[in-house]
Amino acid sequence: MAAKKASPDLLNSSFSFKSLKLKTKQQELLLRVSILGLVYVLAFIARLFSVLRYESMIHEFDPYFNYRTTLFLTEKGFYEFWNWFDSESWYPLGRIIGGTLYPGLMVTAALIYWTLRFLRFFVHIREVCVLTAPFFASNTTLVAYFFGKEIWDTGAGLVAAALIAICPGYISRSVAGSYDNEAVAIFALLLTFYLFVKAVKTGSLSWALGSAFGYFYMVSAWGGYVFIINLVPLYVLVLLITGRYSMRLYVAYNCMYILGMLLAMQIRFVGFQHVQSGEHMAAMGVFLLMQVFYFLDWVKHQLNDTKLFQTFLRITVTSAILVGGIALGVGTASGYISPWTGRFYSLLDPTYAKDHIPIIASVSEHQPTAWSSFMFDYHILLFLFPAGLYFCFKRLSDATIFIVMYGLTSLYFAGVMVRLILVATPAVCLISAIAVSATVKNLTSLLRTKQKVPQTGSTKGVGSSKSSSKVTLDQSQPFHKNGAIALLVGVFYLLSRYAIHCTWVTSEAYSSPSIVLAARGAHGNRIIFDDYREAYYWLRQNTPTDAKVMSWWDYGYQITAMGNRTVIVDNNTWNNTHIATVGRAMSSYEDEAYDIMRSLDVNYVLVVFGGVTGYSSDDINKFLWMVRIGGGVYPVIKEPDYLVNGEFRVDKGASPKMLNCLMYKLCYYRFGELVTEYGKPTGYDRARGVEIGNKDIKLEHLEEAYTTSNWIVRVYRVKPPTNML
Amino acid sequence: MADHTTLPHRFFLSISLLSILTVSQPDLTKELVSLRSSSESGVIRLSDDTVSKFITSVSTPRPYSLIIFFNSVELNSNPLQEFRREFAFVSASFIANNNNRSDVANKVFFCEIDESSDSEAFGLFGIQFLPQICLVDPLMENLQDKTGRMEEEDVDGTAESVVEFIESRTNLTVGPLHRPPLLSKTQISVIVALIAISTPFLIKKVLKGETVLHNSRVWLFCTVLVYFFSVSGTMHNIIKGMPMFVRDHQDSNKLVFFYKGENFQLGAEGLSVGLLYNVVGLLLAYVTNALVRVRSVSGQRVFMMLAMVVSLLAVKKVVYLNSWKTGYEIQTYWPSSWH
Repeated sequence: MAAKKASPDLLNSSFSFKSLKLKTKQQELLLRVSILGLVYVLAFIARLFSVLRYESMIHEFDPYFNYRTTLFLTEKGFYEFWNWFDSESWYPLGRIIGGTLYPGLMVTAALIYWTLRFLRFFVHIREVCVLTAPFFASNTTLVAYFFGKEIWDTGAGLVAAALIAICPGYISRSVAGSYDNEAVAIFALLLTFYLFVKAVKTGSLSWALGSAFGYFYMVSAWGGYVFIINLVPLYVLVLLITGRYSMRLYVAYNCMYILGMLLAMQIRFVGFQHVQSGEHMAAMGVFLLMQVFYFLDWVKHQLNDTKLFQTFLRITVTSAILVGGIALGVGTASGYISPWTGRFYSLLDPTYAKDHIPIIASVSEHQPTAWSSFMFDYHILLFLFPAGLYFCFKRLSDATIFIVMYGLTSLYFAGVMVRLILVATPAVCLISAIAVSATVKNLTSLLRTKQKVPQTGSTKGVGSSKSSSKVTLDQSQPFHKNGAIALLVGVFYLLSRYAIHCTWVTSEAYSSPSIVLAARGAHGNRIIFDDYREAYYWLRQNTPTDAKVMSWWDYGYQITAMGNRTVIVDNNTWNNTHIATVGRAMSSYEDEAYDIMRSLDVNYVLVVFGGVTGYSSDDINKFLWMVRIGGGVYPVIKEPDYLVNGEFRVDKGASPKMLNCLMYKLCYYRFGELVTEYGKPTGYDRARGVEIGNKDIKLEHLEEAYTTSNWIVRVYRVKPPTNML
Repeated sequence: MADHTTLPHRFFLSISLLSILTVSQPDLTKELVSLRSSSESGVIRLSDDTVSKFITSVSTPRPYSLIIFFNSVELNSNPLQEFRREFAFVSASFIANNNNRSDVANKVFFCEIDESSDSEAFGLFGIQFLPQICLVDPLMENLQDKTGRMEEEDVDGTAESVVEFIESRTNLTVGPLHRPPLLSKTQISVIVALIAISTPFLIKKVLKGETVLHNSRVWLFCTVLVYFFSVSGTMHNIIKGMPMFVRDHQDSNKLVFFYKGENFQLGAEGLSVGLLYNVVGLLLAYVTNALVRVRSVSGQRVFMMLAMVVSLLAVKKVVYLNSWKTGYEIQTYWPSSWH
């Protein structure tokens, strides 16, 4: 972090020694490389908090699926992986893994693993998976440096690298152990953008080719590639409208689009969507428009008569728009071009998901963002961003137009969904870096013109960065220095606050694996709840290998990866009906649920319960979503049946349906006998702070099989039907 | 009272009442018609007195039905007032559609009772929640009877639901709804004229390339605006339908602008914080980019000081608000030997 703070002004000061040109350049290069090296290391080690706090393990939900598939890939090889039909999930449907995933992450991890083994480093694949995200975060800082250099100058590049290395918005998805698609995708996203901007600037085929391959990597890694394939054409369109059309743009876009599209079609999950889905049509439209532009340019060149050209222009443009419109209309009407998907639609019309797709609206990371989340993830970058925008407009070029468009569109999307803060992070870091770099540069140049001792002033600012800038204000310094120095101190003070904030957020908020829970005890000591893994290993050791486990979809990936048992639904929410069936079973009475479970061959039911520990994201708190999703397909399930005056309750005042549904029974079975908190009656639910309403629960068709030590996971066995004879 | 009256006395009273009623019932209809024609969009405002005059003291069967909208202006609820407007559309449409058929038009009257001024009449119907619509048909005697009420799940705040309710409960047809157009005819003609006049100028300017769209300052302003709305959580407010502020539960005169809790916010708090971001950012840009070129040294100095104080206060305020809202306390990690 010290490196980051010192970087811009030292760089600028080294420019001033013009007489020693060669030597300064070498000095500057040395400084730049060492700063970048430090930032690279910093980005990696800042993400290791989770390994230090807990252990080297995979986090959360989706990463467990990725880990399981990577394991399969390294054990069985690429072709087996590509053709893998997984019968352990989505019972009885199964899942074609090769055709329904983005393989980029798994292949990357496997390649790293094979390389290491080739170099005779015998590591376990899990360690590779755990450290993939920090490794790619480090690489992202390098891309950010080059990108910053491209749109502004090297100073901005260095600041951008430093900012993105510790920005919480990015760290949230790239700590060690969060082995998810986004870990490599942000790197790929930024790389594609950088290469494309470079291609537009130089007009060189090789950069365009590079960006096409970057795009291919992005498509192979994450569904968020749709953002690229819409932003890039939008950018090209803006350049066309503002009269910035050039041969460079023509070469860059055509090469990137055609090659990128052909390459992307090689990913089975994406397939022919580039020519068939409405989400990709903007890119094709702009591609055709580009040809029209080129053609017009050529005709203009051939025709000397301007009047003739005007007529020609009018006819061509009208017919081109007509033909395009008709083609789009016919394509959509005939079903050849598929309409937009729900997720895409919910970005454009934010209220759409809430009304139409409960399965999207139910996920916490799909919630809209409140200002405090922005503050949490960006901190002072939010103050610097408008300044950066101002600087970008002061020096408009193809590159700055791009970064402004990227920043604004992604920030809008980040406002719609919390998880998309991640996509906006690189842009916010870059634009803020421009602000910092330009500010520091301007201020130091002001210092230098007024007085010949600028360095003492600015380095003093770095040193006293802990003290508030107000203190500096009170000191009456000679004028020629004080204003600029005070401002510099202010900027460095802000940056140091940023560093402190980022470190704290990383360590406290973003480094918990969520599979192992931690709490503070009464004496400030850490208590670890390792119930999830306890339950999954119990399943693995004590149930028949062909047992089918029913749980809410959140836990599907973890059960298959750690428990090695077949699940009914999992986190890949492709089949809403199947999930709704599970939701229906959970919200029905036991005998009705038993019929559903028999029809799905369920042997075990797993519920997550936080009443003993006070763990709030358990199944009872998710229960209303089960009702909503179940009720969305099976109208027999009605949400008001589970509410009392619109309120969700589990105590004595709860609705009778609630008190007797399967989920309630499974969670609170035997709970009525338990004293959870001193001074409270038996059956006191600590997660909701109430005494439960039904303490005498009898199970008829199920029996308790296992409850973990803190009651967080409870497993029940479904009894076979009683003998009819 | 009955204890003090003798039998002949009571008999006389009831005879006279009956005669009054039989005589005055057509008059009541006439009176209602005149009330209707004098009120806006034909919705009659009923007060405590008129309720007893037209409903409770009239013997059944009454020659007319009343459709009553229960309102409360004091509640200050937007959806309720919107529903009230929709109700007025239905009333106005009904009158317009049956203008020349007095036998139909004078069978049903649209009325309104406001809780804030006529709470007695309100209590008479035993209304527990709003919005509610009640049909008082000619035979209805017990006003607390719920059969005349519009069912709770049918009340969705649209004129169509009211029409459906009326048509299902009475034999009358309301006919097509006449909603007023968004812009009146004169407004439309003025706008069309303005556009027609300005088009040649606009075309000329576009061709010359000197519209506002060619001005980068306008674009800068727009981008800052987009940024402002994005980071202030406007999308959050739209999607979750959050109000700008709420009234305090304990003290209804007090307004609450800031909501404590990480994942929710009220409209005003996001906007004010977003404004602070922009103020600091743009001041920084101005100070470092434009102010450096200002010639007057003292001007530079004063403005810089001002900008610094404002920025400092704004940053402090945002950080304070953030830690208050989320309850997080950011700490530094110093080496343990420093403690």
